[in-house]
Amino acid sequence: MIQPFTRLVGRRRRRVVALLAILGPGVIAANAGNDAGGIATYASAGAQFAYRTLFLMVLVTVALVVVQEMSARLGAYSGEGLVSLIREQFSLRIASFAVVCLVVANLGLVVSEFAGIGAGFELFGVSRYLAVPIAAVVIWAVVVLGTYRYAERVFLLLSVAFLAYPVALILGSPDWGQVASNTVLPHFVASHGFLVLAVALVGTTITPYMQLYQAAAVVDRGIGPDDYPRERLDSVGGAIFANLISVCIIIATAAAIGGHGPLASADQAARALEPVAGSGAFALFAVGLLGASALAAAVVPLSTAYGLTEAVGAERSVSRRISEAPLFVGLFTVQVAVGAAVALIPGNLIKLLINTQILNGVITPIILAFILVLANRRSLLGDAVNSPRFRAVATVSVVGVSALALTVVAQTVLGWLGVG
Amino acid sequence: MARRPSFPSPTALRRRRDRRAERLLANRAVANALVSLAGLVGRPVRISGGSEVGRLADLVARWDGQPYPPITGAVLRVGRRLAYVPAEQIADVNRAGIELRSARFSLREFDRRPGEVLLAGDVLDHQLVDVDGVRVVRASDLYLARVVDGWRLVGVDVGYQSLLRRLGPTRWRARPTPDRVIDWAAIQPFGVDPGPIRLRRENRELSRLHPSELADILEELGRTERHELLDTLEPDSAADVLEEMEPDELRTLLRDLPPARVAQLLGAMEPDEAADALRDLDDDELHEVFSAMTPAVASQLRPLLAFPESTAGGLMTTRLLVARCDDRVADVQAEVSRADDRHDLAAVVAVDDDGRVIDDIPVVDLLVADPDQRVEELVSETEPITVLATAPFSDVVDRLIDTRHTSVLVVDDDQRPMGRILADDVIDALVPTRGRHRLHVRHS
Repeated sequence: MIQPFTRLVGRRRRRVVALLAILGPGVIAANAGNDAGGIATYASAGAQFAYRTLFLMVLVTVALVVVQEMSARLGAYSGEGLVSLIREQFSLRIASFAVVCLVVANLGLVVSEFAGIGAGFELFGVSRYLAVPIAAVVIWAVVVLGTYRYAERVFLLLSVAFLAYPVALILGSPDWGQVASNTVLPHFVASHGFLVLAVALVGTTITPYMQLYQAAAVVDRGIGPDDYPRERLDSVGGAIFANLISVCIIIATAAAIGGHGPLASADQAARALEPVAGSGAFALFAVGLLGASALAAAVVPLSTAYGLTEAVGAERSVSRRISEAPLFVGLFTVQVAVGAAVALIPGNLIKLLINTQILNGVITPIILAFILVLANRRSLLGDAVNSPRFRAVATVSVVGVSALALTVVAQTVLGWLGVG
Repeated sequence: MARRPSFPSPTALRRRRDRRAERLLANRAVANALVSLAGLVGRPVRISGGSEVGRLADLVARWDGQPYPPITGAVLRVGRRLAYVPAEQIADVNRAGIELRSARFSLREFDRRPGEVLLAGDVLDHQLVDVDGVRVVRASDLYLARVVDGWRLVGVDVGYQSLLRRLGPTRWRARPTPDRVIDWAAIQPFGVDPGPIRLRRENRELSRLHPSELADILEELGRTERHELLDTLEPDSAADVLEEMEPDELRTLLRDLPPARVAQLLGAMEPDEAADALRDLDDDELHEVFSAMTPAVASQLRPLLAFPESTAGGLMTTRLLVARCDDRVADVQAEVSRADDRHDLAAVVAVDDDGRVIDDIPVVDLLVADPDQRVEELVSETEPITVLATAPFSDVVDRLIDTRHTSVLVVDDDQRPMGRILADDVIDALVPTRGRHRLHVRHS
C-alpha cells in the first residue's frame, strides 16, 4: 500500500528517520525499567553507599543486555510472544501460573507508577488529584486509539525525559576518580544493608514485564529475521542506555548526598537533592520521574495485556481496534483505571498493592529460565540459536539474577513472619 | 479490484460458525461420545480387561484430505521410554484412557510418516486458522469421536472454560466442556510435512476466504505458520493476498522468503503493488529478486521503480489496453474479453500513428459500440484525463476529483501512455494505515 505523505520527506530527513526507526521496543522495554521504583532504588543506592554499587551495575548491565537480546530474538524469529511460546513449547499450566503472577505483580507496579506521576506533579505544585486522572486518560488514549507505531513514538519521546539525569550528574560535579575506580573494581560492603540494596537493584533493573514487552512488541511491529540485526542494535543499545541512566542517578545522588542513608521514594530523592545540589537538580529529578513513571504506566499494563491474551490464545495487538481485540484493550483499560484510582486513595491500599511486586521475584526465575531454554532450542530458532559462548554468559546471568530474585522473595516472606 | 465480494459482517460470521458447531453438538449422543485429548494425555493405557502397560503420551493423526483426520496411532510412555502403537492395536478410547487389543504388540519408536501429526505436541495449544470464523485461534482442547471406521479428530475447542478445566486437577480434565467448539472441517492446521494429498483440501477450504481475510490471518500468524499457509496457496491467490497486506508486514514477509519465490509472487501481483513492495528493498536485495524474475516481469517493474512513490509514476499500474485509431472495434472488444483483470480495465487508450494519446475510451462505450466501427469513430471531443508521470500525488487527486472519473491516464512528456491510476489506488493512498481492511468492514 502507498503512503505518499510520509514519502514526501526529503532525503536527509529520511536518513535521520531511518536512524530513529531503529529505536523501538528495545529502548522502550529497557527504559521502562527505570520507573518510579527504579529511580527510588538507584537514588537510595547513591545516597546510602555512594559509588560502591557501580561495579554491580556493570554486571547487571551485562545480564540485562543478554536477557533483552534473547527476548527480542525469540520474538523476531518465531513471530510469537514469550507466553505463547511457553504455552506451545512447555505447558499451559506453567504459562498460566506465570501470567497470573504477572497480572498481580504488574497491577502493583502500575499503582506505583501512577503514584510516581502524582508525586512528580506535586513536586511542581500540581495536585495529584488533578494530574493522575488526566495522565491516565492520556496514556489510555495514546495506546488504544493509535497504532503501535504512533504509541511507540510517544513512548520514545517520554524516554527523552531520562536525559535529565545525565544533566543532573554533571551539575552534581562528582568525584570522577572515585567513579572510575568503583566502576572497574568491586567495592562491596559486607553488610546486611548492602546485600538488601544489591538485591533490590537487580530486581528493579531486570523485571519480567520488560522481557514480555520486548518480545511481544517485536512481534507487533512485524520485525522478522531479516530486520533482526537492526532490532538487536535497538535491544542491546536500549539496555545499555537504560543502565547508563541508572548509573547517572546513582552518581548524581552519590555526589550530592552520598552517605546520608536510604531514601524511600523518588520524590524524596528530589527533595533531598534540592538543598545540596540546588533547584536545578531538583527540577531535573522531577522531570525524569514524570517521564519515567508515564512511560512505565503505559508499558507495564501493555505487558499484562500481551501476556494474558497470549496465554488464553486471543493474542491481538496494539494496532487493532477495540472491537477486534476486546480482551487486549479491556485488560489494558482495567489496569490503567485501577492503577490510577488506587494511587489516589489515601491509606494502606497503596502499600498492599505495591507489596504485590514481590511476585515479580517469583516469576523472574521462571521467565528467565524459559527464555534461556527457548533461545537454546535449535528447533525453534534455527541458526539464530544461542552460540556456545553466548549460552555460557546467558546461563550465568540467568542463574545469578534468578538467585538474587529468589533472595528478595525469601527476605520479604521472612520479614512478614517477623524474622530477619 | 472493483468487484470484490462484500465482506461478511461479524454477526454473519458468528452465525456461520455457530451453525457448524450446533450441527456437531446437536446430537446428544455425539456430545457425550466426545473424548477430550487434553484429558486423555497422561491416562493409563491398558491391555483389554487387564493390566496397565503405560501412560498415554500423545496421539498421532494423519491429515489425509478428509474433513476429519483419522487417528493412526498412539505414543505411550512405558517407564522412561516412549513407544508407538499403531491404531489397529487400539481396542477402545474412552475418557479413562485407552485399551489395547492384546499384550502382543511391538514397542517401537514413533517414526513420523508424511502427513502425520502429534496431536498434543503439534496441535494442542498451537495456532490454527478457523476458516468459517476467519480468524486465528489457539486450540484449548481437541475432541475425538468414534466414527464407523475408527477414531477421528472431529472438533477443536477454543473456549476459556476448557483452559480452566485443564488447569484444574486431572479428574476434571477428562470431562469435555464443549462451550466453543469449531468443527474440524472448518480448520486449517499447521505443522505437517506438506504431502501432495494435503494441498487439495487446504485449497478448497481456503479458497472460500476473501484475499483481505487471508491477509488479516497471515498478519496474525507466527512465522512458521505464516510460511506454511502461504505455501499452500496457488501463486495467483497468494499474490492477491499479498496485495492486501500491510506494507510493513509484506516487506517482512518478502524479505523472509527465498528470492525465487519472491520473484514468482511479485510476477503474479499487480505491477503497481509489486513495485511498492520492492521499493524499500536495498540494491543488493533488488538485484537478487530481479535476477530471479522472468525478463518480462522485470522489464514491467523496473520503470515503475524509477518514479518516487509520491508521484503519478509511482502509483500507476502498467497494465494498459492500447488501441490504434484504425483498429476495428470488434478486435478491441475481443481483446477486452481476453484480458486477465477485466474489472481493472477502466478504459481503453486510443493512440494515433505516433503512439500519442488521443482519447481514453471507457470500456462501456467500447462494448456497446458497433463492432464494425473503427476506434477513431469513438473518439470524443473532450480532452482525455491525463497526468504526467512526474506529477505529484496531489495533482492526481485533483484531476480525479475535478473530473469525477474512475481512473486517470499517466503519460510521458510526449503524450505517450505509460500507465493508469485507478480511483481505488488513490483511496488506498489517501487512507492511512489499515485503511484498506477498514474500508471492507465498513461497507458491509
